[in-house]
Amino acid sequence: MGLSRGTRIRLVWRSFLAQGSWNYRTLIGTGFAVLLLPSLRRLHGDPEALEEAVRRHSVLFNSHPYFTPLAAGAVLRLEEEGTDPALVARFKDALRGPLGAIGDQLVWRSWRPAAVLLGMALWLAGLPWWLAVGSFLCVHNALHLWLRVWGVGAGYDAGLDLGSALRSVNFNALSRRAAGVGAVLCGFCVALLAVYATRAGGAEPVLAGVLGLGAAAAVAGGLFLGPRARRAGWLVVTLAWVAHALWALAS
Amino acid sequence: MDPGTFLLLAALGSWVTLDTTSAGQFMVSRPFVAATLAGWVAGDPTQGALVGVLLESFHLSILPVGAARYPEGGSAAVVAGGSYAAHGGGAGTLLTVLVFALVWEWVAGESVRQMRHLNGRSLPYEEGSPADHVRLHWQALGTDLLRGLALTACGFVLLAGFVLLRQLAPPTPPAWQLGVALAAAAGLTASALSLFGGRAQALRFAAGAGLGILVGLVVA
Repeated sequence: MGLSRGTRIRLVWRSFLAQGSWNYRTLIGTGFAVLLLPSLRRLHGDPEALEEAVRRHSVLFNSHPYFTPLAAGAVLRLEEEGTDPALVARFKDALRGPLGAIGDQLVWRSWRPAAVLLGMALWLAGLPWWLAVGSFLCVHNALHLWLRVWGVGAGYDAGLDLGSALRSVNFNALSRRAAGVGAVLCGFCVALLAVYATRAGGAEPVLAGVLGLGAAAAVAGGLFLGPRARRAGWLVVTLAWVAHALWALAS
Repeated sequence: MDPGTFLLLAALGSWVTLDTTSAGQFMVSRPFVAATLAGWVAGDPTQGALVGVLLESFHLSILPVGAARYPEGGSAAVVAGGSYAAHGGGAGTLLTVLVFALVWEWVAGESVRQMRHLNGRSLPYEEGSPADHVRLHWQALGTDLLRGLALTACGFVLLAGFVLLRQLAPPTPPAWQLGVALAAAAGLTASALSLFGGRAQALRFAAGAGLGILVGLVVA
C-alpha cells in the first residue's frame, strides 16, 4: 500500500474536473466518483463490486474545490483498507462542513480577493497589464495548486484522522495574513480609483469637484454597506446610463 | 471586428465559462482577467483592463459558496472587454458596455442554474454503470462549454447592436461617464473591506489609502 506517483498525479489532474457535473441533487457527488474511478477500478476487480463502489461515492457530497483532493486521498485510503462502507459514508458526511468552511474562509474570503486586489493595484499604479494579470494569477494559483497537490498526499496519509492533516497547516493564520494584506491593497485601490474619478473631470473644476465628492460618498457608502453595496453600485451605474441616454435623446 | 477575432473571443468566453466552476478554477474567469485578455485579443488590452477593473469591483464581495445564486461574470467580461477594445475604447460607450455586462452576467448566472437542474435530472442515481457516470459527467462538461460559447457569441451580437443604436444619438461628454464609473468602482472596492474583517482592518485600509493617494497624485 502507499500512494504511487501515478495515482497521485491522476487524482490531482482529475480533481480539476470534479465539479464538471455540479447539480442540485448530488452537488459534486458524481464528479467525486469519477475522480476516484481509476483507483476504484484497481481495488474492485469484480464489476458488481465496482458498480456498488461508484454508486456509493456518487451520492450527495460537497467540498471546497481546492480541498476535494484532500477528501479524495483520505477516502481512497479507507477504500484500500477495506473500511466498512457505512463508516466511509459517515466520514464523507462529516467532511463536508469543515472542508467547505476552511476553504471558503481561506480562499474565497481572504486569499483570492487579496490576490485580485494586488493585480488591480498594480494596473492602477501604472504597471503593464500583463504584469498585473500575471501577478494575480501567479499569487492565487500558488496556493490553489499547493492545496491540491498537498491535499492528495496528506489526505491519504491521514485517512480517518483527517483532522490531524488539517491541523498540521495553520490555515487560520494564513487566512489572517492574507486578510491583512488584502485590507491594505483594498485601501490602495480605493484611493487610486477615487483620485482617477476626480481627475476624469479634467480641466473643469466643477465637474472634477462633483466627481470627487461623488467618489468620496461612494467610498463612505461602500464601507458602510459592505456586500450590500453591490445593489447600490448597480443602481448608480444604471441610472447614470439612463440619464445619459435621455440626455442624448433630448439633444 | 473580423471573424477571426470573433472566433478567438468566443473560444476565450467558453474557456472562462468552464473555468468558473466546471474545469480548472484557475481564476481566468475573474472579470479583471477575462476582460483584459479579451481586450488583448481585440487589439487593446488597456481598454479591456479598464472594463475589467470596473467589473471586478462589482464581484469582489461575491462569495461562490454552496448553492448560492450569483451572477456569472466571466463571459460577460469577455463580451464587455472585447467589445470596448474593438470599438477603440473611449468613455463614450463605457456606460453602455458596463450596464450590458451587469445585465448579461445575471443572464449567465440564470443559465448556470438551469444547467445545474439539467445535470441533476440527467445523472444516474440508483441505476447506471460506472461508464454511465463518466459519460454523463463529460456530457455536463460539454454542455457548459457550449453554454459559454452561446453566451459569448450572443453577447457580442447583442452588445454590438446596442452600441450601434447608441452611436446614432449624439455623444454625451465622456468625462463624466468615466468619472461616474470610477467613483462607483471606488465605492464597491471599499465594500470589499468587509471580507477582510471590516473595522478591525481600518488602520491597514487607511495606510493603503494614504499610499494610494500618493501614487495617484504622482501617476495620474
